[in-house]
Amino acid sequence: MLIKLSGGTLIDPANGIDGEVRDLYIHDGRILHEAPQGERPQKTYDLGGKLVMAGAIDLHTHIGGGKVNIARAMLPDDQRSHPRERTALTRSGGGHAAPSTLAAGYRYAEMGYTSCFEPAIIPTNARQAHMEMADTPMVDTGGYAMLGNDDLLLQLMSEGVSQEVINDYVAWTLHATQCIGIKTVNPGGISAFKFNARELDIDERHPHYPLRPRDIVRTLSRALAELGVPHPLHVHASNLGVPGNHSSTLATIEAAEGFPIHLTHIQFHAYGTEGDRKFSSAGAEIAEAVNHRKNVSIDVGQVMFGQTVTISGDTMHQHANRSHAHPRKWTCMDIECEAGCGVVPFRYKDKNFVNALQWAIGLELFLMVDDPWRVFLTTDHPNGAPFTSYPHLIRLLMDRTFRNEQLAQINPDAAAMSLLGSLERQYSLYEIAIMTRAAPARILGLADRGHLGAGARADITVYRPSDDAERMFGTPMLVFKDGQVVVEEGRITAPVKGSTQVIRPEYDRAIEQRIGKWLDRYHSIGMANFRISDEEMAEGIGSPVEIHACRPRSAA
Amino acid sequence: MWSTAAREALQPITCPFCGLLCDDLTLDTTDPAQPRLAGGCERARTESTRALTQASAHCLVDGAVVGLETALTRCAERLSQSQAPLLAGLATDVNGMRAALALADGCGATLDHMGGDALFRNLLVVQDGGWLTTTLTEARNRADLVLLVGTECHTRFPRLVERVLAPPEALFGEVAERHYVLLGPWSETAVPSDLPRDRTTVVEAPKDQLANLGSLLRGLVAGRPARADAIPAVDGAQLTALAEQLLQASYAVVVWSAGELAAPHAELEIQTWVELVRDLNETTRAAALPLAGTLGDITTNQVCTWQSGYPLRTSFQHAGPSYDPLLNRYQDLLAREEADCLLWIDAVSGEQSVPATSIPTLILGRADMSFERPPEVFIPVGVPGIHHPGHWYRSDAACPLPLGQLRDSDLPSVAQVLGQLLERLRAQA
Repeated sequence: MLIKLSGGTLIDPANGIDGEVRDLYIHDGRILHEAPQGERPQKTYDLGGKLVMAGAIDLHTHIGGGKVNIARAMLPDDQRSHPRERTALTRSGGGHAAPSTLAAGYRYAEMGYTSCFEPAIIPTNARQAHMEMADTPMVDTGGYAMLGNDDLLLQLMSEGVSQEVINDYVAWTLHATQCIGIKTVNPGGISAFKFNARELDIDERHPHYPLRPRDIVRTLSRALAELGVPHPLHVHASNLGVPGNHSSTLATIEAAEGFPIHLTHIQFHAYGTEGDRKFSSAGAEIAEAVNHRKNVSIDVGQVMFGQTVTISGDTMHQHANRSHAHPRKWTCMDIECEAGCGVVPFRYKDKNFVNALQWAIGLELFLMVDDPWRVFLTTDHPNGAPFTSYPHLIRLLMDRTFRNEQLAQINPDAAAMSLLGSLERQYSLYEIAIMTRAAPARILGLADRGHLGAGARADITVYRPSDDAERMFGTPMLVFKDGQVVVEEGRITAPVKGSTQVIRPEYDRAIEQRIGKWLDRYHSIGMANFRISDEEMAEGIGSPVEIHACRPRSAA
Repeated sequence: MWSTAAREALQPITCPFCGLLCDDLTLDTTDPAQPRLAGGCERARTESTRALTQASAHCLVDGAVVGLETALTRCAERLSQSQAPLLAGLATDVNGMRAALALADGCGATLDHMGGDALFRNLLVVQDGGWLTTTLTEARNRADLVLLVGTECHTRFPRLVERVLAPPEALFGEVAERHYVLLGPWSETAVPSDLPRDRTTVVEAPKDQLANLGSLLRGLVAGRPARADAIPAVDGAQLTALAEQLLQASYAVVVWSAGELAAPHAELEIQTWVELVRDLNETTRAAALPLAGTLGDITTNQVCTWQSGYPLRTSFQHAGPSYDPLLNRYQDLLAREEADCLLWIDAVSGEQSVPATSIPTLILGRADMSFERPPEVFIPVGVPGIHHPGHWYRSDAACPLPLGQLRDSDLPSVAQVLGQLLERLRAQA
């Protein structure tokens, strides 16, 4: 079937197109710029005056895996207050901060998103993450496997094995867990907490292993560069949420020694200690560092006011934050000599000095980092706020008047301590399209999406232009997934299932013997069960894999 | 590992018969006509032999042998007539539960697991205040003090000591220096023989005093002016020593099986152990290891939670899920006559698990299931991990493992039967 999208205004930064009126065709789920010879469109959409972008991509959203399910189980009120009824086409199941998988998929699609990436997959829990994402309809998914607190990596590094061995282990992990990237969370710190350490700074020695977090960041970022994995090491830095943590964030950037590094939810890592309350914004210093180092990318983890739940692998800091739980309940878990998780519900209040300043710091970072290709639009769902707040966030970035009105509402001391009121920048639609489509596709190595070029996957979102960006991005007119219309006027019209995006760097299989022996000696799961096969993904888990290309491998 | 193909490729094998989900078993095919599981515990071998050698079975409607199509037709009729269907039992795998949820959302059913009582003793605690837990591998490598609450953990989970509590070696600390404290009416029960005598302490306590014991221990650990001898049946000096041991331990692990703690409102007792663990974490490390998962309670609860947003005991009678862990207990729904059709699913236990009820009863069960009274419909289904592949959650809820298929079988899976049932209901709608 040939579909014609007639006369839309294209915003396609990956191909340098900013507001060109052009026809597009959809054939076999792919985008064409010309109709195939002799074929006439069976269906034509008149998109005169409408904006056409690629489907949006969220590169950091906690939508699947054990810790998300703990949050759901612990917080039935989150479901009760946000029900979603079944329709003739869609299943029921709601939620806000920790939505059901079904609600998350529907809502993402209703907002024009077509791909989502779960950033914190513990290798032994990868099956669960993929099963939950398989049950997240409408979107393609993928994940980043967590390393850097697993005792095997820490042991290998402590023994001083070669970088080549580390690279093999990292590559094996990507294969075994069916992931597309590697994340490290509080490198060494989750493990240190199991030894009763309550903090671990970037240059502090781990209580058991002769290693510093700096060593882990360098080793893993180098491994991914040498393996040719497109996505840089995804780093949740040391000292999450600790006043004065900007210095360890800057040190983490240095620790990569020039290898590509992605610092995630950097808002939570951009705090100074100035002022009477010993809590201040270090947004300017962090933004300057990012602007000067081209190997660095960030996502913000914007805070929005209201009830949410914080979900993190960082047990060390989640346990420390337990006294802030709202409502007053929290769960922490040590997991399988690999990592851990902590789930702490939280309510951000605009009149609270710290929360208000967190909100302002996030916006400062968005507005002070110059290159939209290296800063990504996230709330670290649900840690800063649920992903459903993205349209509101986009308006804050695009509309200075609106932003300053909001600034006037927050705690006045926080407003006074922030540079935000003096920042005049307003994001353009082109820049929003970069940070929500083109750049995430590029940094994840997804050549087939995030753009409207010929041959691209026909994941397309069509908007009615509006002065109110929140309204425009909240309810797109049309969303196409793989060439099929799945959302019309913000409502699901065709439920579909996605696939899992993976990467397969080459490695020396000899590492498997070493890993197998380790598992046999110390673990409670054997090698055969650790690894998820393609067949299991497709038949059992219910989400077939799509393999994306690595860059050429460079020598260790 | 996910295959319906050659079983030789499936070594080693994962056992679906308790929440430990041991994955180091093998299939002995010396006698190809009588394959047997090798390794594992006695229960694994007995249960698997029974499942591997069971005779094939037929669908029954009103006691008469029928084909699957006829049985499905009757199920679809009953469910479409029903105003308040109950989907219970739910001893099934991930895909079986996925199908059960789709069906429940489609026909307005209420869901509960046959082990729901035990499951909710833990879940009510999680929902009230949260907890701090660990997993099998973490406990295996890190525990230096193990507190076993009750007397049944090691019999309900036969390889617990061998695989978790007293492994041959551990990453951190010497297993040979690990201490074990057993709390409960141990005088009547043999202490596990695989625990080292010289490092095992028994603190005798009647079952009905365990909650008090936990509270007292919390007080002693916190340095409150509690009287260690406040419980007449429990040795106060032992408790004082235990409190000190807990504070000195680097990683104490507190183990219980909610299935054993069956006193009314046992969740309050469990909360005491949870809070003890959290208190200890103010100064040192400790974690709880709640044991569960044996008949798929953890498995089905996980799937229900991610798809509906709520744990089990959720009802789809209205336009969306509504959750009530007290009102939606299946035994009470039947007793109060608040369900008018029971679809009972038990692909694993093979026991006489079906509750007695006068409402129309449709059963998806093991082929060797026996009944006191034949149900309106019986559809034999395969055992996950024996007759078809599947996914199953371990006790610690962190590690779903794939189950393989050990023998060719014409028995359908729960997921297949429920999928066909939903198609029929949709076609009728």
